[in-house]
Amino acid sequence: MIIELKKFGTTLTSRQSGKEALLAFRPILNLVPANEKIEIDFSGVNTFTPSWGDEFLTSLQNEYRERFFLKESFNLSVKATIEILEETNEIKFQIKK
Amino acid sequence: MNKQLITIQEVAKKLGVSLDTLRRWDKNGKLKSIRLTPTGHRQYNLDDIESLSENIFSIAKNWVTGENPKEPEDKFYCADSIRFQSRLTYLENDLRNLPNTEKDFSLIVAATGEIGNNSFDHNIGSWTDIRGIFFAYDINKRQIVLADRGQGIFKTLKRVKPSLSTDKDALITAFSEKISGRAPESRGNGLKFVRKIITQSDNNLSIYFQSGNAILNLKNGDLDLNITQSYFSINGCLAFINF
Repeated sequence: MIIELKKFGTTLTSRQSGKEALLAFRPILNLVPANEKIEIDFSGVNTFTPSWGDEFLTSLQNEYRERFFLKESFNLSVKATIEILEETNEIKFQIKK
Repeated sequence: MNKQLITIQEVAKKLGVSLDTLRRWDKNGKLKSIRLTPTGHRQYNLDDIESLSENIFSIAKNWVTGENPKEPEDKFYCADSIRFQSRLTYLENDLRNLPNTEKDFSLIVAATGEIGNNSFDHNIGSWTDIRGIFFAYDINKRQIVLADRGQGIFKTLKRVKPSLSTDKDALITAFSEKISGRAPESRGNGLKFVRKIITQSDNNLSIYFQSGNAILNLKNGDLDLNITQSYFSINGCLAFINF
C-alpha cells in the first residue's frame, strides 16, 4: 500500500493534525494484508516537521517495522525531519529510491 | 479589492530611504513598485509600505513584556493552533515566491512551525494570562517573529528535570537533549530540529530565542550554544528568525 501524504495536506506541521491523520487512516490500515508493504509517498508535500512526522511516521515504523518504507524525497524539510526522528527515537527508516 | 496607492516620494519619506534606493529595490525585486502603464510613475500599495515601516520584533517584545496583558492586534494574533497553521500556509506561499528562498522555504516554514507548535503544545490549559501566540513576518525585511506569554522553557522542563536551576540551563537542555516537557509522552524534537536547520543547513538563517532571562543566538555553522543573559525577563518565549 502506498500512502500519499499530500492527501492529508501539503503543510504538515502540528502534532494534533499528525495524530488525527493516523486515527482517521486507521480503518484503512486495518484492511492491509499481513504481508503487504506500507510505503509513504511525500510527493506534493511542501513543508513537513518532526511534530507531524513523529505522530504519523514513528508510530507506523514502530508498528510495521520491516514492512514500512519511506519513498525518497528531495524536499529539505522532509529530509531534515527524517534525520531528527531517527536521531531522537533511535530508529532507522528504510528509504526506497 | 481597491488598494490605496502612494507615490515613490511618499514611500521614501515613510521608510526613510532615498529615491535612488527605492528605484534600486524596484529593479532587484526587493521592493517592487506598481506601474499602471508601462511608462507610468512608480506607485506602491500603502498597506505594504505601512507593514514595512513596522518593527515586528519591537511590537512582539512589547507585547510579551507588557505588564498589562492584552491580546495582540488581530493581524498578529493566533489564539489557537488552527489559526497558526492557517497563517503558516500564508508564510509558505510568500516564501515560495521570494527570490533565493525557493529551495529553503520548507525549512524556514518547518522551523517556524515547530516553534509555534511548541508554544501551543506546552501551554494548553496553563497560559499565564493571554492564550495563544503572537506571530508576524516581514517578507521584505526577511524576518519572522513568534512570542507567547506562557510558562516558558524553564518551568516546562523543570517538571521533568528537577535539577534545572536557571533559564540558561533550561535553554541548553531544550536545544540539545532528548527530553520531553510532556513526559511520559515521547516528545521534545522541536527545538533541536530548529537548531539543526539553523546551524547545519546551507542557508543564511539565524535565530534569537529568549525564554526567562536567557537568550540563545544561533547562526549557520555554530557548533556550540551561545547563550547570554538579557537585561529583561519574559515568562514565555520570544523568537526572532532572520532568513
